[in-house]
Amino acid sequence: MTTEKKKPILAINHLVKYFGEREILKDIDFEVGQGNVISVIGASGSGKSTMLRCINLLEMPTSGDIIFEGKNVLDTSNNIALYRTKVGMVFQSFNLFTNMTVLQNCMVSPVTVLKRSREEARQTAMKYLEKVGMAQYINARPDQLSGGQKQRVAIARALAIKPQILLFDEPTSALDPQMVGEVLEVMRELAEEGLTMIIVTHEMAFARDVSTRVIYMADGVIVEDGTPQEVFGSPKHERTKEFLARFTQNT
Amino acid sequence: MTADMPTTFFGWVVFIINQYGGALLQGAGVTLLLAIVGTLIGCAIGLFVGIVQTVPITERTNTGLKILNRAVQFVLAAYVEIFRGTPMIVQAMVVYYGSMAVFNIDMSAMLAGFLVVSVNTGAYMAETVRGGIISIDKGQTEAAMAIGMNHFQTMYTVVLPQALRNIMPQIGNNLIINIKDTSVLNVISVTELYFASKSAAGVYYRYFEVFFVTCVIYFIMTFAASRILRYFERRMAGSADYQLVGDPMADPSGIFPNGTKMGGK
Repeated sequence: MTTEKKKPILAINHLVKYFGEREILKDIDFEVGQGNVISVIGASGSGKSTMLRCINLLEMPTSGDIIFEGKNVLDTSNNIALYRTKVGMVFQSFNLFTNMTVLQNCMVSPVTVLKRSREEARQTAMKYLEKVGMAQYINARPDQLSGGQKQRVAIARALAIKPQILLFDEPTSALDPQMVGEVLEVMRELAEEGLTMIIVTHEMAFARDVSTRVIYMADGVIVEDGTPQEVFGSPKHERTKEFLARFTQNT
Repeated sequence: MTADMPTTFFGWVVFIINQYGGALLQGAGVTLLLAIVGTLIGCAIGLFVGIVQTVPITERTNTGLKILNRAVQFVLAAYVEIFRGTPMIVQAMVVYYGSMAVFNIDMSAMLAGFLVVSVNTGAYMAETVRGGIISIDKGQTEAAMAIGMNHFQTMYTVVLPQALRNIMPQIGNNLIINIKDTSVLNVISVTELYFASKSAAGVYYRYFEVFFVTCVIYFIMTFAASRILRYFERRMAGSADYQLVGDPMADPSGIFPNGTKMGGK
């Protein structure tokens, strides 16, 4: 692929996904290197979210391979739950557990899945809640928080299992404009610290400024894949140009 | 019996309470016992059936499990349909007399009563629990899976606590229905409130007065049950308020348990 020198930690090979008769993803190929921050852009319905959901197997790919740390995660022998603790996910609609407080949200997986002690889990959870600026709110319940606060807690919850890669599925799309900034700020920090991230987003400025690589998708295929300078500055394909032109017009 | 017989309605009511108050209260006790135990066991059955009915089967599930699942689902569906689809009064007759005739088990009327109420409630609760589980936003399950939880962990820590909170009103409904409907067990001579009332009424042929008292007792029981359940519901909804924590790292005991420091009502 383009600029990685390091060995990829995740490789997607010939990924195909059908929903019934409809082919949503057509032969997707790409690799993710350690520390890559990849923004996936494209129109709604282009398959971006489906691709992301296939990566952590919330959707089962129809065919293709997903190689993580040298092993195909689609092998029937693979422990999916264990794999998912290494590939975290942040959702558009936050999906914080409504029956738990903020702190419990961030502790539940380390305690029940990773079998950490409560004290250790609490320390880790507090560390990440501090990082996203939500440490004061540990006793609050999700429905008492604003959208931006919920999403920051959701990011802390995902970080608390210490994933190798963190997937973001349109993390700011459900937020009021004034709350988008606080979430993007947290993500920018994570990027600077070298966390490997794949971000499906409509925030073009963020994609341009923060990511190390931008993928443009349309109709279930990767049309363009390159550095932000390449994709935004001098897109090779007609469709990318059209998409970016329409985007700059609209905003 | 030399005392004058009462002549007015309220005179009779007082007379009956004096004469049969103890027997009626005892009957009420049996009714409550049947209703509460039946509802609890019914809920346990319903929870189990509801959970099994919502076990996800994906393309990755192996064939043996798929076949086993099919068989289990068939049995559970049959159970729910049969016990929801026949009257409890008939089930009582079939279980009580049938256990003797077919299996040669001499079951006490009380035991048959517990059995019928529990199994009947279980059939309704199974559907309620299933409804409660599928009403929980799919995002909750996905988020749980995305942080590595398996189906059991997701159910236990995320879905069921929320589903239970949502179906509390329905559990209350079932308890109230059971308090009333255990009266049908009089056909197999369970000495619950209705049976006790019928016996008392038969002595002086004062049906109206006796059943007026019975009515009041039933209402007191159902009303108390609904208020108590409402209280639990409110408690499960959790505190309406929360406290900001100044420096949580400095005070590790201040976070768990969140008893005294939590505000709200």
